[in-house]
Amino acid sequence: MSELKENLKAQIITQLNLEDLTVSDIQDDMLLFGPELGLDSIDALEFIVLLEQQYGIKISNPAEGKEIFTSINTLAAFIERERA
Amino acid sequence: MNKCYVTYNSLITPLGNSPAENLLSLKKGISGIQMFDGQGFAGESLPLAKIASLRENERFSSLLTSACEALRGQADAKMLSSSKTLLILSTTKADLSVFPGDTFQSAENILAEKLKLAHSPLIISNACISGVVAINTAADYIHASLYDQVIVLGIDVLSPFITYGFQSLFALSDEAARPFDKQRKGISLGEACGCVIVSRTRPETAGYTVMHLGGSSSNDANHISGPSRTGEGLVRSVRRTLERTAIPRSEIDFVSAHGTGTLFNDEMESIAFQRLEMDHIALNSFKGTVGHTLGAAGIIETIFSMFSMEENLLFQSQGFAETGTSCPLNIITENRSFEVNTVLKTASGFGGGNASLILQKI
Amino acid sequence: MMELISYCRVLPEGISVNGAKVYAPDSTESWQKDLYTALGLNYPKFHKMDNLSKCAVLGFEAMKQEGAPFADFGDDEIALIFANSASSRDTDERFTESYEKIAHPSPSLFVYTLPNIVMGEMSILNKWYGENVFFIRKTFDAAMFTEQISIYLSKGNKACFCGWIDHTSEGTDCFLFLVRAGAGHLSPEQLNTYYKQYRNE
Repeated sequence: MSELKENLKAQIITQLNLEDLTVSDIQDDMLLFGPELGLDSIDALEFIVLLEQQYGIKISNPAEGKEIFTSINTLAAFIERERA
Repeated sequence: MNKCYVTYNSLITPLGNSPAENLLSLKKGISGIQMFDGQGFAGESLPLAKIASLRENERFSSLLTSACEALRGQADAKMLSSSKTLLILSTTKADLSVFPGDTFQSAENILAEKLKLAHSPLIISNACISGVVAINTAADYIHASLYDQVIVLGIDVLSPFITYGFQSLFALSDEAARPFDKQRKGISLGEACGCVIVSRTRPETAGYTVMHLGGSSSNDANHISGPSRTGEGLVRSVRRTLERTAIPRSEIDFVSAHGTGTLFNDEMESIAFQRLEMDHIALNSFKGTVGHTLGAAGIIETIFSMFSMEENLLFQSQGFAETGTSCPLNIITENRSFEVNTVLKTASGFGGGNASLILQKI
Repeated sequence: MMELISYCRVLPEGISVNGAKVYAPDSTESWQKDLYTALGLNYPKFHKMDNLSKCAVLGFEAMKQEGAPFADFGDDEIALIFANSASSRDTDERFTESYEKIAHPSPSLFVYTLPNIVMGEMSILNKWYGENVFFIRKTFDAAMFTEQISIYLSKGNKACFCGWIDHTSEGTDCFLFLVRAGAGHLSPEQLNTYYKQYRNE
């Protein structure tokens, strides 16, 4: 699970062009759409692309994504559930 | 107040290949939107407003060529080649079939070959507000006495590039667009080419002419692809247009809104029109009828608005059944007779742009 | 009448304002990032922008630091008049690649496949609600710019912030300038001279 979380952080930084950040800047429970990372609605859509491209999970409605993308923890938990 | 004249010319849309055909379709309440298989990135069926006669892989060139031929047939040859004539082309992506080659060069080549213009066309590429901005820019050139007439031609065609792009934003509906409706789910893409001639004096040739009283644009300063929650840019543009034209709100008979059918755009417009105290004015979107035609939208929807003026007929906002915006608007629910003397046309687009113009009967 | 009050060139070799070089990047490979750091910018959104917007942000910041009086104008008094020859072609290529080669159309690339987005980014950065127009021209057209500036000033705008920004595999050509309504005169020939100036630096 922790490897998945570290991978996710790296993938997010690349996919979303978060140039100034490193993996250690993103805490597992940090609100991804909170003030620190400055992500917006387009970034939320890129998360959907990331899930499909890297994990083969398809989300058909952006509204579903809101809960899933709350934090690295919720995102990792979701992926683990889908993979099982 | 500086005014100039606007006369519609060629018009090719999914509703017809001429202004007369388009008008007849509008009167009959025909929709230009149909389901097509295999259009989405994963092969999904999508509702699109396609022009049936266009050859696949040559959609842009065949559409522009047809429009130029129609324009040539209806316009004075001397006027077309005059040094006092300019052509402004409004398009978001031009000819993607030649991509990664120069998509705009392809357009310029066709215009040069078909129209023998004295000056190279001026191209405006300003997302979905291009058409309204192009008409306003034409009026500016007339008022600056730089040209006697400006041909404004707006065109965009369907392509996987555009379809997949809007899909990636989850902006496309899986059914025909329902602007301002409670059940709206997104845009139906369309394609079209429309042409108006903006002139300093009233043209002597036949063709319906109205006055362009003024216009403006304004940025939302909020987000590059989502509209301002308060409709700030649209409000400022309409206010600026009202100031420039010295037209009171009470004189506006009809608003041709942008109305794409997305949750966010239509909600923003409803807030803006309420802030402008225009929520009681008869209003529609043409995008439930002819889809979102991007760079052509501002031109063809201005022409449709001119039909309303010519016929004293308000056209139904197709796809609308029940108010789905927090500020209810006076949406036109069926074609009905109405004296339409003064029209406000608005547009909003990616990049936070908003634009508006006012037309009035002579 | 109009006066040019500030102009700027943004190139991989560096940024010049009003004819004087003010910044040079450490390397040409990551020149935009280097210039961002050199200018002391703190705007994380920068890294997500397309190349046209990045050039505009860098140039604008340099102009501001060299005293360009953007703050003199109200939030809707500056009209943005931008143009280029290649539209958003570099981003168009990346977007096409995202669905043709990589596997999925990218929303963050798609939103930049329109050249006018650069004006949106400038407006968001500064909370400017003014007028905008974007033209496609084959080459830098000084006459078109001076005509448009004259038009926008006569319509009530107090200043025009103009840009010619091309970014393709062939290179970057970014020229920004601020013109104010005033007693002075700016001819297309004079404007062209400022545009060409970098070739002598």
